[in-house]
Amino acid sequence: MDLPIYYTRAEYIETDTGNKVSRRATISGPQNIILGGKTVIASGAIIRGDLRRTGPGHAVVISLGRYCLIGEGCVMRPPYKTYRGNFNYYPMKIGDHVHIGANSIVEAATIGNHVEIGKNCIIGKFTIIKDCARIADNTVIPPNTVVPALALFAGSPARFIEDLPESTPEMVEAQTKQYYTRFQPLPAER
Amino acid sequence: MAPKIEYYCPCLSESPHPPPPNRPSSSYSFHPLHNLFFCEECDAVRCNRCVSVEVSGYYCPNCLFEVPSASVRAEKNRCARNCFLCPNCRNTLTVVPSDPPEDVDSRMSPIVSTTLGEPPFFLYCNHCRWDSAEVGITFEKPTGLAAQLQKFEDSAPEALEFERLKEHFEPFLRASSSSSALPSASSHHVHTNPITAAASSALARDIPGVGKYNPLSRSRVGREKGAHRQEYPDYKSRVEVGTALSGEADVEFLRHLETVSQVAALEQRWTNSWVSPLSASDLKPLRIPLQSKKSKRCPSCRHILIKPEQKAQSVRFKIKLVAANYLPAIAVTLPHAQAAIEMLKRTSKTTSAAAQAEEQQAAGALIAGHSYSFHLAFTNPLYDPIQVRLAKAIAPAQTAEGDEAAERARRSTFQIQLPSAAFPVGAFAEAWEYDDEDEAMFLDDDGMEVVEARGKKGKDGRGKTRSVGIVEKRANVTIVSGEVLIPKEARGDVKFNMLVSYTYRSDDPEPSEEAQTGTPSRSHGANKGPEMKNFSFYTVVDLGSIMYREEPKLTADL
Repeated sequence: MDLPIYYTRAEYIETDTGNKVSRRATISGPQNIILGGKTVIASGAIIRGDLRRTGPGHAVVISLGRYCLIGEGCVMRPPYKTYRGNFNYYPMKIGDHVHIGANSIVEAATIGNHVEIGKNCIIGKFTIIKDCARIADNTVIPPNTVVPALALFAGSPARFIEDLPESTPEMVEAQTKQYYTRFQPLPAER
Repeated sequence: MAPKIEYYCPCLSESPHPPPPNRPSSSYSFHPLHNLFFCEECDAVRCNRCVSVEVSGYYCPNCLFEVPSASVRAEKNRCARNCFLCPNCRNTLTVVPSDPPEDVDSRMSPIVSTTLGEPPFFLYCNHCRWDSAEVGITFEKPTGLAAQLQKFEDSAPEALEFERLKEHFEPFLRASSSSSALPSASSHHVHTNPITAAASSALARDIPGVGKYNPLSRSRVGREKGAHRQEYPDYKSRVEVGTALSGEADVEFLRHLETVSQVAALEQRWTNSWVSPLSASDLKPLRIPLQSKKSKRCPSCRHILIKPEQKAQSVRFKIKLVAANYLPAIAVTLPHAQAAIEMLKRTSKTTSAAAQAEEQQAAGALIAGHSYSFHLAFTNPLYDPIQVRLAKAIAPAQTAEGDEAAERARRSTFQIQLPSAAFPVGAFAEAWEYDDEDEAMFLDDDGMEVVEARGKKGKDGRGKTRSVGIVEKRANVTIVSGEVLIPKEARGDVKFNMLVSYTYRSDDPEPSEEAQTGTPSRSHGANKGPEMKNFSFYTVVDLGSIMYREEPKLTADL
């Protein structure tokens, strides 16, 4: 039915759990990044796992769930603030079935499951996006915003637009799974 | 534009047939499948326009606090914690402490030892840099700010006036609601809600010549209301509203205006419960309005279709009867457009995304004077196989509103061919869900018997089939192909109504037959096997608009 989205086999590294990471993506501090599996990181994406909390020991900076997509040219950067006089980065947690459109910049603290973020969005620091929310294309979410569950946000600054249908989780889940199956290597290299 | 399909909900019209799809108004009757509900009792599709909605809980969209309904009223439907909207840009405000004595950047240094920072605290907008100190609102503690502000709100002259008005009308409201409950309970009680009655009679009294809003027959109840009118005294307003007292000052303000944004925009003013100031610099922060979780009921049988869980941010529902679980999902594609897109992708590797999108749009065009096949993929959500039958819905004979309309209709005719025979769609099984786990999706028809094509031709080469019939069948998806023939002079959108009817095995046996005690019916039932039920619904298929620009390259590809 839907056409496959082809990529050249040489460009993507596929992990044991089915993550597909472009060689042209910039992954800093990979030891601090967790991918849930079947997550696609497109070319040109920048994931800043190196911006970790100061202090000894291992720290997870960015964790992504299953069936996520980090679009082309996205920047994923953990949020930071000065608390009690100490500058620090804080971890970013992203749930399952989250698609982030091309060229968006994400500095959220938490993104729930089944969240769709459009293209060219800016998600400000410490934003909390609840489950099944949707952010329209070209939206600017200012820092510290909370996006409630099943809400559509759009504009600059982002505002509540409408409630999403109750069947959103199923829809998004089907979409993200389908996207992953459609995303496959070009069968024969030309 | 990608072809799309929407489902019909008959709530807006009396007839079960959908309106002609080329009317602009018809879009209100059609909805995407996932927006629809399904009432099992009525065996009917329901949409967001026809369901009756009840509030099942309030919450603040910012702090996500679930507000008990008792305090919603006292807090005037707004969050009473620390949530505020910026009066300029409607962004949420954050509470920030004052700067320590040195300068702003010294916050980096560990001099600030207290957890909360220095009082006074004020509200700050991260987006437009508005802060509440501009309008003289500062706080000694960073908690319970809304409660502090609500005191001002409640003591504002407008709020007090409103309270007094409410008090004044209270006895009348009570009287009219008790009296109107008796006579008008018959048929019209829907419209004579006491508030409307009060407002309309007040209006009728104050402005001569304005008829009273009166859904009941004028003669009898008019006299009755007349009696009421005498009962309550005139209200003396204590606040002068709409006086031109500030006229001089306003002129002065406008004379020194430098930018338009200094005047508060209408949007910034009209939701404000305080006096709405003219100048933007006087706007006050707004407490965030609460949002609600809603449960939805079928309008005719009152059964619950949607019942959310108590927790505000849960996306699970105790009851969720959505149409997607009952009706087959249909996806429309134009194989010629897909082939063209693929061709483009292979040939042009380096073009920008925007250019690609444009090319793709051009590739999917429907050019007048050609015929195209389109694919309809049916996905069965039921645990039993279904038989689907398609028909092009013929609009009930419309009396032409004029020659022009008739002419337009004639020009936009295009021929649609749909598979006439019923075709099966396999049952949904959880196992299909795991199919994609091992990439089995692309080994088509694995283990499935290839059903004989009921059309003239089955599959011959992907997307090339010009016939009408089954193209592909796998798991719980069946793809059938139809054909559209666009005459040379056709214009507009290729949009048509399609009646989809399907038979399925019903779980509960037909009560009427079971109720019969005679043996013949029982044996009859046994012979028939499981009960088959039929359900049909209308859809509108939009294949896109007709282009009349000839594109030799594309036609050559096809």
